[in-house]
Amino acid sequence: MTGPWAEALPWVIVLPLVGAALTPAVAVRHPRVAGFWAWGVLLVTAVLASGLVAELLARGPFSYELGGWAASYGIELRFDHFSAWVLPLAVLFVVIVPFSWRYLDHVMPDERRPPFYALLLLNAGGMIGFCVTGDLFNLFVFTEVVSLSSYALVAVGGRGLAAFAALKYLFIGAVSSLLMLFATAQLFVLTGSLNMADVSLGLGEIGSGTAVMVAFAAFAVSFMVKAAMFPVHVWLPDAHAIAPSPVSAVLSGMVVKVGIVGMLRIYQIYFGAEVLELGAFNLALVWLGAVSIVMGAFFAIFQDDIKLMLAYSTISNIGYIVLGLGLASPYAVIGASVHVFNHALIKATLFLAAGSIIHQTGFRTLSDLRGIARTMPQTSAAMAIGAVSIVGLPPTAGFVCKWYIALGAFEANQAPFGFALVFGALFIFIYYIRMLNAFYFQKPVHDEVAQASETPWSMRGPVVLLASLCLILGVLGGIPLNFVEPAVLDLLPFWGQ
Amino acid sequence: MQPFGLDLDYVAVVVLFCVGLYMLVAKSNLLKKLLGLNVMETAVFAFIVTAGMVEGGDPPIMVAGTSAPFASPIPHAMVLTGIVVAVSVTAVALALIVQIHAHFGTIEIDELKELP
Amino acid sequence: MRPWSLLLVLLVALPLVAGVATLPPHDAPDAPIHTQVGALYLERGVAETGMKNMVTAVLLNYRGFDTFIEVVVIFTALAAVLALPKGSAPVPKGSAPVPKGSAPVPKGSAPVGKGSSPTSPSAGAARSREDEERPEVASDVPVSPVVRFVVRLLAPFIAMFAVAMLFRGHITPGGGFQAAAVFAAIFIALGLALGQDRAARLVPVDWRPWLQGVAPLAFALVAWIGWRLTGAFLGYPIHDHTAQEAMGFVLEIGIAVGGGVILARVFLEMET
Repeated sequence: MTGPWAEALPWVIVLPLVGAALTPAVAVRHPRVAGFWAWGVLLVTAVLASGLVAELLARGPFSYELGGWAASYGIELRFDHFSAWVLPLAVLFVVIVPFSWRYLDHVMPDERRPPFYALLLLNAGGMIGFCVTGDLFNLFVFTEVVSLSSYALVAVGGRGLAAFAALKYLFIGAVSSLLMLFATAQLFVLTGSLNMADVSLGLGEIGSGTAVMVAFAAFAVSFMVKAAMFPVHVWLPDAHAIAPSPVSAVLSGMVVKVGIVGMLRIYQIYFGAEVLELGAFNLALVWLGAVSIVMGAFFAIFQDDIKLMLAYSTISNIGYIVLGLGLASPYAVIGASVHVFNHALIKATLFLAAGSIIHQTGFRTLSDLRGIARTMPQTSAAMAIGAVSIVGLPPTAGFVCKWYIALGAFEANQAPFGFALVFGALFIFIYYIRMLNAFYFQKPVHDEVAQASETPWSMRGPVVLLASLCLILGVLGGIPLNFVEPAVLDLLPFWGQ
Repeated sequence: MQPFGLDLDYVAVVVLFCVGLYMLVAKSNLLKKLLGLNVMETAVFAFIVTAGMVEGGDPPIMVAGTSAPFASPIPHAMVLTGIVVAVSVTAVALALIVQIHAHFGTIEIDELKELP
Repeated sequence: MRPWSLLLVLLVALPLVAGVATLPPHDAPDAPIHTQVGALYLERGVAETGMKNMVTAVLLNYRGFDTFIEVVVIFTALAAVLALPKGSAPVPKGSAPVPKGSAPVPKGSAPVGKGSSPTSPSAGAARSREDEERPEVASDVPVSPVVRFVVRLLAPFIAMFAVAMLFRGHITPGGGFQAAAVFAAIFIALGLALGQDRAARLVPVDWRPWLQGVAPLAFALVAWIGWRLTGAFLGYPIHDHTAQEAMGFVLEIGIAVGGGVILARVFLEMET
């Protein structure tokens, strides 16, 4: 009943992981080969992912039983509408990796390229596995693959400060992983199973209880940390700003979304069982989301360093997603789910454009980069498009989802939060105006800026491509929205209004 | 042991977790913080293994000399995996601490905060 | 005692205690943990997997995919350690000028120096790392000849014990990870007693890229074999006990060698 692509499900996870294991061996004579090898592996992975999404569209969600054992007897992989995130994820990696080929020249000596690209492949494979598994303990192990590779990728470029930011990230992240493991163990003790669907059934039989609630809280806190929600967002600004720019794009665009997908998975487990009254929790999400929006945008205004600005902007945008999820009305949740993807695209554009500028001029603060638009017009244009997208003006990608979330706020009779959304957008608007003003309308103060040249094509191509996608998806915004709608409507009856 | 209806083994595990959390949060030396993290990890593993025990149970190995009831094998497998994960996290953390020390000359948070 | 930390810990402790207080008591034989999947494994495990150690059966067979990802995790740790900048390596000059102040300091302060660490403001800090300094100058470690002799004498026997543990993992407690840990422990002991250079020769440089990746690769190989034999990824042919044992051994050896080499390499890379 399932097409041949269903058989590819384990391989889409295994391919990047095994590719990573082979990277040091492949690149042993010529370390730079690692970059091309990683790109090739990710390209094949993206092809597999598109086959899986095609299968999903044709025949609906499907699963794969590993080792031939029936679903709760062994480990089950499950591909549903939320798993479809692996396709844009793989494609984004395919676009970001070529950027890194030249960018890394000023970050690390060639000998360190193989482990770097191995880490990138591991990060990708881990995230794909996370979205595709149907087993709670498997989820934990994939989270660790993603987290560990992320900690290292943060520290790869710099010396003491980068290591310190990475260590802070590590400590907070490890505690959150422990909470996830603890909650998994609790659910295992309560239901005797580790399979997500099975646990959901088991919870339905047990009904509500303190242990059930504490497990939910532990999962929630754990994923909040991973997604850098207020108040556990403190690890993000330094980590994302210090990391090399392609890594920042991956971290801000995709790794933080792991927290969101995790939250959705837990919702699926608990809501199927209808054991929790989620009104209070949703309200908490709405408040925390709103605070994140405003606070992230507010701090971003005062940053001179562009990457710190972008990092705080990530916190703000995660706030949008969380606000949408907490509002629990169809428009809001659809908008939030699509923003997971749109923000990844926009942030990747912004970080890669910023990285291009840093690579060519050696400066990273707004005051130093005045007038860069004269000498790097295409990159600055890309930056401008990214800025307009993230503020949420039409006809860019950012507009559609923020509009949906705002509609959702009014739909759920939570109008004040709709206004928080608009306020946040206003703040964001201010700081991007600052940036565009500095780039376009002020005179260069440094020679390096006045004489900078555009980036080589391997770096410019991805930036231009991503910026164009921001525009295209603004016009064709309906497609992702319609895609996510069935999954969200399936989930919502249990969401708790 | 069930005084007040509380499973004492589980409570001991929570106490251990909290000791580890205190070490992680309150100590200034980075290595001690890392040790606190390890204690927390050990606490969660102890929780998992304890949960799989049975009154009068034997190890889940089917040889002559062991008989039902058996302890459940799944928690043991979970903890084995968990230990490997904990070792990996510790390895990465140590590498980062070595970096920090090489660069700043100290691994005390109090001193690191005061550096320019 | 820091009061805020104590408060945080107490705040965390309360929900945790509540979370475990209402769980079914752990010793009862009718708890869900003993009556669901676990019981089925115990009942049918020997027949379906050909192994007597049910934990190994769960690790390699029923939940083999988890173990696969776990060896990927430990490989990630090694990749992480290898990717970090080495102690005294200078940042290279690429086509662009080296960014001034490559790390942003939010409070706005001096850029970080490029190769040498600044002089420590307090001499006391060095104390905490003093004990770590000695293994780096490994060949002049002032280790007594008694220690050196005993380590060299015992190392082969310990290694043999690890090998025995590895191959008997199917019928007694033991297995790949345990063997890997012991191999790595011997390596570290040799490294500390005899000097890192001599110990490093145990893992030939040319083989390192392959040895490090051998655990995930072994899993991929066995998964593929299982796919050919049974049509399922990482599937074991239920009635062919020889094939099952062979696949299990390949995995165990892969884990032991791969894991051991990874841990040894992590030790070798830890130098300032």
